[in-house]
Amino acid sequence: MSTQTISKSNTWKGGNSPFNVSYGKLMMWIFLLSDAFTFSSLLIGYGAIRYSFPSTQIEQIDQLQLSFAENVQEKYANGADAHHGEFFIPALRDAGVFSEKQWPSPDLVFNHFPFAHGLHLPLIFVSLMTLILILSSVTMVLGVEAGQRGDKKDVTKWMLWTIIGGFAFLGCQAWEWTNFITAGATPWSNPYGPPTFAALFFLVTGFHGFHVFSGVVLNIIIFINNIKGTYERRGHYEMVEKVGLYWHFVDLVWVFVFTFFYLI
Amino acid sequence: MSVSNHKVNKNTKNYDPTVWVPETHSHGTKDIWLKFWILLGLTVIDVAFYFLMPPSMARNIIFIALGIIKAIYIVGTFMHMKHEKLSLATMIILPMIFIIFFLVWMMYEGNFWGSI
Repeated sequence: MSTQTISKSNTWKGGNSPFNVSYGKLMMWIFLLSDAFTFSSLLIGYGAIRYSFPSTQIEQIDQLQLSFAENVQEKYANGADAHHGEFFIPALRDAGVFSEKQWPSPDLVFNHFPFAHGLHLPLIFVSLMTLILILSSVTMVLGVEAGQRGDKKDVTKWMLWTIIGGFAFLGCQAWEWTNFITAGATPWSNPYGPPTFAALFFLVTGFHGFHVFSGVVLNIIIFINNIKGTYERRGHYEMVEKVGLYWHFVDLVWVFVFTFFYLI
Repeated sequence: MSVSNHKVNKNTKNYDPTVWVPETHSHGTKDIWLKFWILLGLTVIDVAFYFLMPPSMARNIIFIALGIIKAIYIVGTFMHMKHEKLSLATMIILPMIFIIFFLVWMMYEGNFWGSI
């Protein structure tokens, strides 16, 4: 009788790993789940607050583009670079497009690109940032794959590319923040519209940026340990996988930050 | 004689949870690059929708759906979730399904706050 009752499975009876993962990896997954909750709460808050304001109407933007050449250029810029923050924001405030009563269209806020002054290029820079982060995620997973083969040299190569990708992303983030801050945005005031917009932007992209920064630090630690031969001596490269999980999570969060802040 | 018919881990005899690591093997790089091109394509589709479709709740749901598809590829392939046990995958993914529901619900809910 008793032999029949225990014949099903003893997965949970101890003496083995029920999930067939190491302790550290399981804990990394649970940490990432909790971190996902934190980011979700921020994005849920963003979604709710953003839709408690009316959106910038598409007709307003279209009309603006028609009248932009004659009105804005003549009145404010005298033919100068009209997309420069100095002229662009006051002109759009006068036109009622930027007002405390409506949520600014990301189209009109994040429309800059390095070395392309005066051009209206919405979404292009942030798409480039997305590409950089996805690419660094790919180099990370290639590093993990090299670790699974026990190829120390390849791990070094791919970890280095991942670190470079991380720094490139942080640089882009800094450039984006600099633009936003020089336009006059602070966590409590926002020339583009409701102060909540700036507060949420700084909070969410700052929180994500700090995760990227932590990820780069962890990647550098792994990179140095690998060069020193720590994982070769240990006989497995599981640390690369665990830090890789964290790095992919950072990429995953960016997918949703991109969706919520720039697309919606 | 064994009374159990389930698969026992290879290292069960000397199982020590503080140091035990399952044996790994590479799944190759072909799948990784395929997923990279898919993710890139989905991002391009995002940008195309942004410029070609006027803003609406339907467009937002398209963006969230595309985000979820991207998340499936990142978690499944890059984070190796598709090679993990179903019990682990369920533990991580199930709570997130409720979160997505909550996200869409609160965006819709926010619409009514302005008119209070």
